[in-house]
Amino acid sequence: MDLMGKFTISASMLLTGFVIVFGVLFLLIFIIWLYGTIVSNAQNKAAQRKAEKELKKQKEIIAEEKAKTNAKPVVVNQPGKYETGVSDEVIAVISAAVYTMYGSKQKVKIKSIKRQRTQSAWARAGILENNQPF
Amino acid sequence: MEILERFMKAIEGIYQGSGLMNLDWRNYVMIAVACVLFYLAIKKQFEPLLLLPIAFGMLLVNLYPAITEAPQTTLMSAAECIKTKGTTEGYATTVMNGVTYYNVPHYGGLLYYLYQGVKLGIYPPLIFLGVGAMTDFGPLIANPKSFILGAAAQIGIFITFIGAMFLGFTSPQAGAIGIIGGADGPTAIYVTTKLAPELLGSIAIAAYSYMALVPIIQPPIMRALTTKKERAVVMEQLRPVSKLEKIIFPVIIVVVISILLPDAAPLVGMLMFGNLLKESGVCERISKTAQNELMNIITIFLGTTVGATATGANFLSLSTLKIIALGLIAFMMGTAFGVLFGKVMYKVTGGKVNPLIGSAGVSAVPMAARVSQRVGQEENPGNFLLMHAMGPNVAGVIGSAVAAGVLMNVLK
Repeated sequence: MDLMGKFTISASMLLTGFVIVFGVLFLLIFIIWLYGTIVSNAQNKAAQRKAEKELKKQKEIIAEEKAKTNAKPVVVNQPGKYETGVSDEVIAVISAAVYTMYGSKQKVKIKSIKRQRTQSAWARAGILENNQPF
Repeated sequence: MEILERFMKAIEGIYQGSGLMNLDWRNYVMIAVACVLFYLAIKKQFEPLLLLPIAFGMLLVNLYPAITEAPQTTLMSAAECIKTKGTTEGYATTVMNGVTYYNVPHYGGLLYYLYQGVKLGIYPPLIFLGVGAMTDFGPLIANPKSFILGAAAQIGIFITFIGAMFLGFTSPQAGAIGIIGGADGPTAIYVTTKLAPELLGSIAIAAYSYMALVPIIQPPIMRALTTKKERAVVMEQLRPVSKLEKIIFPVIIVVVISILLPDAAPLVGMLMFGNLLKESGVCERISKTAQNELMNIITIFLGTTVGATATGANFLSLSTLKIIALGLIAFMMGTAFGVLFGKVMYKVTGGKVNPLIGSAGVSAVPMAARVSQRVGQEENPGNFLLMHAMGPNVAGVIGSAVAAGVLMNVLK
């Protein structure tokens, strides 16, 4: 093959390769972006609807229970021992969880909130991985 | 006396059939090369899972070349057959010019049969099945723009094609040499078996050697093409990817690529099949088999048989030296173009993309992504680029399969 022939093949291969590889991968970018957006939106909407439904259901249950027992909500008379860095929101969430578990019929008092000192996530993942087969 | 004569004859026969009589100097050179590869694999731990079987295949074939010998059938007359085999029973017959000949088979060497998986293009897609079952495409789905870097790193393939053409290789051979730049062993082997099987040993060894040398080859290029400020860029955390997105991904990729580039379908199809097994979560047993047992078995067969193609006569030639040099150029080009496109993305996004992740576009999963992470941490120890680099890295696997499809389609 002469020099001109080699040059022609090389240039056409470079052009073909460049255009097709980039073309296909750009197409994939578009498709992934498109379905990613569609799936994310659909899932967000579904989650939102589910959350709204749950909230409505909870409100109904609370109203029902209130009407039935006419019980007073748990009142914290004096502040418990809360570790520094635990925000009011976290205390509210924990109180709500405790209330959900025990309900309004039992008298429950949260005395302290402490962070549990455990291994790091990596250490736990390692232990899980090693123990899983058994 | 007769006993002694028979004994001497037996010893002479063993000596005549031994390597001392049948091996030439090139075989001994290749045995030395195999020993160097053992050193790199065991002591330096450069891709030992591949380099060790390759080196052992190389050692075996240069000690006993008949281990790759193809099966043959010899036509023998009845007298010859009885003389050598003691009987004519059980042999098929062929009649030529009125004379009956017996077909006496000579079975091929062990590695000849194992090599059929390479020759027929069976092992590389099976390796891709395992790779797919091990790969998390989440970072790529979260940031699909990574595909640009995966595509950019393939430019080296086509530039090396030009170099190979001007160095005297035919266009199919040039395509097979260029694919080394994809830094993807199974893809390189698959393309070479289709385009230039005569170069398989040299190309496979060059491809795997450069993949093993990623941590040495890439960093100087990455540092030379980027500024300190660019290397220190901390990227935003990727969005979480839902399970549904991960399940849809392999199906979409295989549909798009198989329709547009059917030649890439065996590789991409198996890659995505493996990934779907993993992501679906309903085929855990099969997924684990693909990731472990199947992958390991195929790696042993592929490594030893590819190594066994490197006989002294095949390997020690000027064309091998050219292939090794061109492979290095292809690899360096792929890295450089990945980083350069990373720089373009850095500019376009107003400094949100660290150009170092571009070098991971050359496949070599996950080694190339680890190199991006390491070089990035040299500038900023608190910078974690690994997950960002995994996007271009897995995009590079798909990109090199697409490039392979282009080469096979145009050149075969």
